[in-house]
This record gives sequence, C-alpha cells and structure tokens, in this order.
Amino acid sequence: MSHQSPEDLVGHWKGAEAPLLPLLHAFQERDGYIREQALEAISQGLRIPLADLFAQVSFYHHLTLEPDGWDAPRVCDGPVCRQKGSKALLNALPGARPMACSGRCDDPIPVLRRGQLTVGLEAGGLQTRSSPLPPPPPDGVRECVFAKIREPDRATLKGYRGTGGFRGLAWALEADPDALLERLDQSGLRGRGGAGFPTAAKWRAVRDAEGDPKVIVCNADEGEPGCFKDRALLDHDPWAVIEGMLCAAFATGASLGFIYLRYEYPETYGLLEAVLEEAHREGILGEDALGPGRAFHIHLRRGAGAYICGEETALLNSLEGKHPFPRNRPPYPVTHGYRDKPTAVNNVETLASVPPILHEGAEWYRGLGCGEHSGTKLISLSGDIRRPGNYEVPLGLPLATLLEDWAGGPPEGRRIQAVTMAGLSGGFLDARDIAEVTLDDPSIRARGSFLGAGGIIVYDDSRSMRDAATDAMSFFADESCGKCFPCRIGTRRLLERLEGSAGPTAGAEWVDEVKSIGEVMQQTSACGLGQAAPLVTESLIRRFSEDVGWKHEGADPS
Amino acid sequence: MTTENVFELDGRPLRFEDGETIFEAARRAGTAIPSLCYDPRLNAFGGCRMCVVQVEGIAKPVASCTTKITRDMVVKTTTPKVERLRKTLLEMVLSENPDRQVSADRGLAASEMNDLAQRLGVRRGRFAGATSGKSRPEDDNPFILRDYDLCISCYRCVRVCAEREGDYALGVKGRGFATQITAGFDRALGDSTCTYCGQCVQTCPTGALGDKQIMRFESLSAAPETTRTICPYCGVGCSVDLVTKGDRLVGVRPAMDGPANKGALCVKGQFAYDFVQHADRLKTPLVRNEAGELTPASWDEALDRAARGLTESIAKHGRKSVYGVASGRAPNEAAYAMQKLMRMLSGAHYIDNCSRA
Ligand SMILES: Cc1cc2nc3c(=O)[nH]c(=O)nc-3n(C[C@H](O)[C@H](O)[C@H](O)COP(=O)(O)O)c2cc1C
Ligand code: SF4
Ligand code: SF4
Ligand code: SF4
Ligand code: FES
Repeated sequence: MSHQSPEDLVGHWKGAEAPLLPLLHAFQERDGYIREQALEAISQGLRIPLADLFAQVSFYHHLTLEPDGWDAPRVCDGPVCRQKGSKALLNALPGARPMACSGRCDDPIPVLRRGQLTVGLEAGGLQTRSSPLPPPPPDGVRECVFAKIREPDRATLKGYRGTGGFRGLAWALEADPDALLERLDQSGLRGRGGAGFPTAAKWRAVRDAEGDPKVIVCNADEGEPGCFKDRALLDHDPWAVIEGMLCAAFATGASLGFIYLRYEYPETYGLLEAVLEEAHREGILGEDALGPGRAFHIHLRRGAGAYICGEETALLNSLEGKHPFPRNRPPYPVTHGYRDKPTAVNNVETLASVPPILHEGAEWYRGLGCGEHSGTKLISLSGDIRRPGNYEVPLGLPLATLLEDWAGGPPEGRRIQAVTMAGLSGGFLDARDIAEVTLDDPSIRARGSFLGAGGIIVYDDSRSMRDAATDAMSFFADESCGKCFPCRIGTRRLLERLEGSAGPTAGAEWVDEVKSIGEVMQQTSACGLGQAAPLVTESLIRRFSEDVGWKHEGADPS
Repeated sequence: MTTENVFELDGRPLRFEDGETIFEAARRAGTAIPSLCYDPRLNAFGGCRMCVVQVEGIAKPVASCTTKITRDMVVKTTTPKVERLRKTLLEMVLSENPDRQVSADRGLAASEMNDLAQRLGVRRGRFAGATSGKSRPEDDNPFILRDYDLCISCYRCVRVCAEREGDYALGVKGRGFATQITAGFDRALGDSTCTYCGQCVQTCPTGALGDKQIMRFESLSAAPETTRTICPYCGVGCSVDLVTKGDRLVGVRPAMDGPANKGALCVKGQFAYDFVQHADRLKTPLVRNEAGELTPASWDEALDRAARGLTESIAKHGRKSVYGVASGRAPNEAAYAMQKLMRMLSGAHYIDNCSRA
C-alpha cells in the first residue's frame, strides 16, 4: 500500500461502512505512525473534526502519533504474563512498551510488533506459532461449542462442512425465525460476553424494533485479562461464528454484520479476512445469503487497543468513528445501535453456541449442565496451574473439579491460594470459596463475585495477593475511559492506595478510604468497568486481610 | 395506573413532559439536584454522576440527568445513601486538583464547584493523591486562560464548542485519569479552529478556563456590578451583561436568557470592548482641512461636507459614482433610511450592508 496517496486511501474507504478504524490502521501501516497530514486527509474525507480525530487517536493504545511508534515492540504485561516474567522481557527488548493482557495467557509471553505477534519467554526465543487448541475434556464430558473444534481442518470451509457445519442454519431456514427464537428461548442460552442477557430476548427485541438495516455485531474484542476463549473459537472454528451470525441475521431480519476484533489478534485477523472472502465468494454471505433476495454481509473491523471498546455501546461508537466513550442507556442497542439502527451485539461464544443448539435441540443443550443448570460455559484458565487453557465446563461444575481434576492442580509443591473470577472484574476468591463454589452465577454471586466472560487466573501460595490486586487495579486505571468521575478518579485513587504511593498506607484509615471509594464506584459508575473494578479491593480486604496490612496495625476492618 | 404524565418526586406528585429527564423536571419544580457536568444548553452527558437519585424498583442509583421519566416512577433525590455517595464523590473530585481558590470573575460558572462543595458541606482533605489536569501557560492568546490544573474533566467546554458553537476546536486527549483537554493537534487555541467565542470559558464550572480580559481588572477592589444591554456590534442583537467596577467597564458576559443568543456571543461581543473607554476613541466627527489633515468638527459641519461631496461627485461623474454601505450595527430602520437616501440622492442601486460579507 506504500504507493497510495492519502487521497487514494481515504477515497478507497470513504463510501464503506465504519471506515475510520481501517483508515487509521492503513495510514499507520503505510507510514509507521499516524501523521498529521493523514489526520487532515481523513478529517476532510470523512468529515470528522480534526480535534476530535486527534483525541480519538490519542485514546487507542495501538495507534501512535510518534514517528516510528509502530515499530516499538509491545510486550504483554497482563497479570499472567507478569507471573511469567514480563518485566524482564520488557527490559531485554530495546524500546519495548508494556501492553495490557493480550489474550494469550495459555502460551508464553506475547510480543506484538508492526502488527505481527510472536511468543516467548526470552528476547532471543520469540517465535511465531498458531494459538493453542483447547485441551481435550475428561472422558465422558459432553461439549457444545468445543465439540468439533479439535477435528482436523475444522477451520476450513470443507472441514467445517464435513464435520456437521451449517446444520443449525439449515434447520432454521427450513423452519422460520419464530421457531428459531422459540428453540433458543427454551435452551436458556444467555450472553457469554459477561452480562448474561438472554439471547433470544435480545434478538426478538431487534426483530421487533423499527429501522433498517438491522445489524448484527460479533463482539470479538475480548479485552478482559485472563480471557482467551473467543480467540480459540475464531482461530480454530471460525465458520461456527459465521454460522451463528447468519442465524442471528435470519432471526432478526438483519442484513448488515460486523466482527469487531481486538487488535492484539493479528493472525485471527488474517484468517477471518480469508474466511469472509471465501464466504462471500461461495455465496454463504452476500445478496442471497439467507435465501433469494435475503442479503447478509459481514465486515471485519479491528479495534486499536482499548478494553472499553468491548463494552457494547463504546464498541458501537468506535465503529462509527466517534470517541469511544460508552453511551447512556436507555436507549439500548437493540433499538438504537450502529448508526441508531436496531442492533444485536453478541459475544463470539454466544454466537458459536447457537448452531449446535438449533441442530441438537433445546433439551440437549439444557441437559449439558449439571443438575438444574442449563448448558455450558467456556472457561479460560491460566496462571499457576499445570494445564492452562480453554475448557468447556457444564454449568454448575465444582470449581475444585476444574482446577484439580481437569487442569492438574497447582505446580508441584504449591497450594492454590486464590483465583480471580470474570478475568479480573470479579475480584478474588480464596481457598475456602474454591472448595465450595460451583461454576454458575448463583453460586459465584453468593460470594460477591460473578462468572462474567469466564476467565479464571490462579495464584499459588508463593504470590502476594496485594501485588496481584495492584496489578489488577493498574489495568482498570489504564483502561478507564475517563467519561465518568467515579471511575476516572476512583481507579487511580485505589491504585495509589494499593501501591502505597498516596493516601493512608495502612490501618483503619486505609480500609475506610478504600471502601468509600469502592462504594461510590460500584454504585454510581456509568458502565461495568467502574462498577466492577472495586471488587478487586473489596475481595482483597475481605479475604486477604493479612496482605492488606491493617492486621499488623491492630486495626479493625469493619 | 394514572393516564396522565405524573410521577412522584420526593413524595409529591409532579407532572412531566414526554421525554423529560428526572433532573429537568426536578429543576422545574425547584429541586436543585447537585451536578457538575450539566449545562441546560447541552445534551445530557452523564459524566459527573453527582446527580444520582434513587428510583423505586432499580437497585442502583441512576443519573437523573440522563434518565427519562416514565409514568408513576417513584424518585427520591435525598436519601441518606445518595447523599453519602454524592459527598464522597465530591471529595474525590476535590482531591484531583490543587487547593487553590480562584476569582469568580473568571467565568459565569467559575464558582459552581466550590459553591456545590459548600452547599453539601464537603471539604478537602480526603483521598490524597496525584492531580489530574495540566495547565497550559504557554498558550499566550489574549483571551482565554487555560488553567487546567483546575480541570475536572466534565467536558462541558468540549461539548459547548461542538454542540453550540459548531467550531469543534476542542478534544479529549488520552483517557482515564490522564485525560487532558486539547485544542486541535494539542497546540495553542490560535492554531485550532477556535474563534474565541468564549463559550467554553462561561460554562467551565471550576475556573480552569478564564476570561483573560476581565482578569486584567481582578485587583480593582470595587464590587462588580452588571448591566443588561445589547451588544453594539451587529444586527443580531445578542443580550449581554456589562460588568463594571466603579466607572470602569471590566468585562462582558453573555446573557443565558438573551432571546437572540441564549448565552452565545462572538469574539467581538465577548472580548472586544476596550474601545469603550479607550483614549483613542473618536468623540467628535473629523473633517479634512486644506492640508488634508483630519481635524475635529461639529456634526453640522461634517454632514454639510458629506452632502457636498456626494452631490458634487454625482454631478461630475454620474449617478453610478456613489455607493452606500450600511453598518451592520445599524438597526433595520436606519438601514432602510440609508437605502432610501441613496436611491433618492443618486437614483442608483449601489447599496450594501457590511453584515452581508
Ligand atoms: C468494560 C467492559 C468490557 C467488555 N468487554 C467485552 C468483550 O470484550 N467481549 C464481549 O463479548 N463482551 C464484552 N462486554 C460485554 C458487552 O457489553 C455486551 O454485554 C456483550 O457483548 C453482549 O453479548 P452477549 O449478550 O452475547 O454476551 C464488556 C462489558 C464491559 C462493561
Ligand atoms: S465506568 Fe469507567 S470505563 Fe465506564 S464509562 Fe465510567 S470512566 Fe468510562
Ligand atoms: S472560545 Fe469558542 S470556539 Fe474557542 S474553544 Fe472555546 S467554545 Fe470553542
Ligand atoms: S476545562 Fe472546565 S469545562 Fe473543560 S473539562 Fe475542564 S473543568 Fe470542564
Ligand atoms: S449532571 Fe448527571 S451525570 Fe453530571
């Protein structure tokens, strides 16, 4: 692309849907950074005010305004990579900068440079390799979304067709949207991106809303530290996600689709580009995708390094080329989504669950859970555990069974001290919780946490939980978008108190300030980031009081 | 279920308009819910969260500025819980800035945050830590002080510039606690699309933006007085409040209730008032003497001279040799009289108005 003039590039994207992010990436790839002339050309072409454009570029971690900024290696400095020595790797690579958890916690430390991803533990040992497949489940465990993922060639169209692909969609096309929604309703499927909203209800709301075109957005931003399940699905079973999106389009009457993929998954990007190209070529997508005259198109868009863009309304703003603050709700995306059109935003795992449910039936899906719990959940397991990776567990499975029996327990000679829930957003559970809790929302919520997107990071007894909490809060402080006061100020103040760099450093006063800030954040923040972040400090105080330090002062936490 | 638009605010029934927010309806009814990011002229933003209230049936408090009322909604604006949350939140906000008092002269809303702190009985001292905004003393434009050490990231400036002024000069750089307000490519206001309308200054709730013109007179000890009048510059007729200290005109403020401008002004009306008491200001007409120098004259002399010049020119060079331009500051009636004069005098249509440009 290096020969293309700014006008050519802008002209190429100008008429396209959601043109801003691809244009910014194209300029960054052409010039090694984003030059002011590029912003001027984009501003004119897309009619976005310069000040706004500049501000947006400064928001995204992976867009850079410094000459050759794109050249600097970004080393994952997420909580799991810190356990593996990311700080040493950062020091060893010249010009390296830290990046937030980049979703490869079941591999050595990921390093991103000029849009290429390598993994390794040492500067000399960085290599390119495909992302790990999920480990096989224990004997007798039945899976839904991972059932076919380990089949050879599953990621190819031929392989997908040969292993039962498109049977869910075929069933739906034979039946009708009502039957589809009915089956999904009965399956009890809820959103797997964190909020757990019933999928059928969301799709019905989009179907019933006024507006055209209707839009399906696959949320593949997967920014929560310790979560890498969507990566596994997209890398090894991409057609299942496409099929899920087609089912969503059929159910809602949508004709426009997007996959919003995080920037830190470059191989996935290449793979999805090829998959979408093939799908359009083969007529799986396109003007007659859902029958004669029933169009469905999917556009692939990359984020640029911002956890908040996984929040569905910030994601929509990002797609639309607006500052990626979350929107005020209501109205919700189901009525006012992408460009104010009715929009279903769904997580990758949610979408991939739909085809098997439609094909096998609601009863079958419900029956995959333990006891009264229906269905399965992908869990990304990482940290101090022998077999990290993605596991599809029946909802209601005892957490201890997953940790000890499925994943081999802690490293030799160690004891599990704590785990996180919902990546980092659910805070920490301690050994007693681990012995008692089952993997389903009622059980986890009863302990003041939540399952969320299903990331679990394990800390053995060699770790300091105060350090773990500090790492977690530094993530939230870096990712707070800055729209609302409680989170913008609160994440920073909590981080300072965990680091001991400002405010009271110990004692009852420390606990009092931390709890007051936490309450304000949890009760008044505008989105889930600020509401969840104080679970980190709350669970630290409640469960790991020794680590907090007040006990040594003889103060009373309550 | 009632069939009318009625909801309950702090135990009393209140009517509401379709689409009205809790905050607006409460304001109308005389209940001032605390706020920092609210400006009635702007789209509700929902950033400061000071305006949280409790709504029956919803577990967490909601931001009243973005929550539309529904029929039979039961709203409580002063529960112990929301009052505690607001106080703690305001303590957090105070902690992000250095402890520095600034003059209320800086802008119309410059004391808003401090007044709110007083009203809620909140003082500084809790939640020590880093400060957020960074002032831009190097921006030496003559009109707007950018003292962002006092900024609380309410983005009212950014939003008023975009939503009301349509100049889109400002942006929100970075994110989270590191957020900074920038102009254009993060340089001086003069290098951006700013037109120095002053709207951002007047909406800033902390004095982080200051009117440098009025600040020149901060040391005058007389109490400021305001006088409502109309901006003298153009035919739009923006309402302004002139601020005087003793007999000195120290500043101009837009009138939020001005029917033509609703709080807006342009750079001239907002900042260019020094001519009023300027030593060089003309106080009599001037006419040229034999030597071609301008000398003071009476109005009669000056008008006679003008009439003579016009008629002589027409006599000598024809009717198309004269051209009349009405001042944009002239009211309609005067502009009408001007064109009438020109048509009667010369019979030509060479007539214009400076506002047309
Ligand atoms: C801070 C934040 C980050 C989020 N990140 C993601 C994400 O990366 N992927 C995702 O699917 N959902 C994410 N969500 C949840 C989305 O807002 C939304 O609920 C979800 O995409 C809906 O899809 P589902 O109903 O299929 O779960 C995030 C929410 C918040 C508050
Ligand atoms: S809670 Fe945090 S991330 Fe969410 S809107 Fe507020 S500042 Fe942004
Ligand atoms: S003075 Fe007016 S144009 Fe300039 S930044 Fe402020 S609001 Fe925008
Ligand atoms: S400068 Fe003033 S108006 Fe602008 S964001 Fe800061 S405090 Fe708000
Ligand atoms: S006034 Fe409602 S959030 Fe600021």
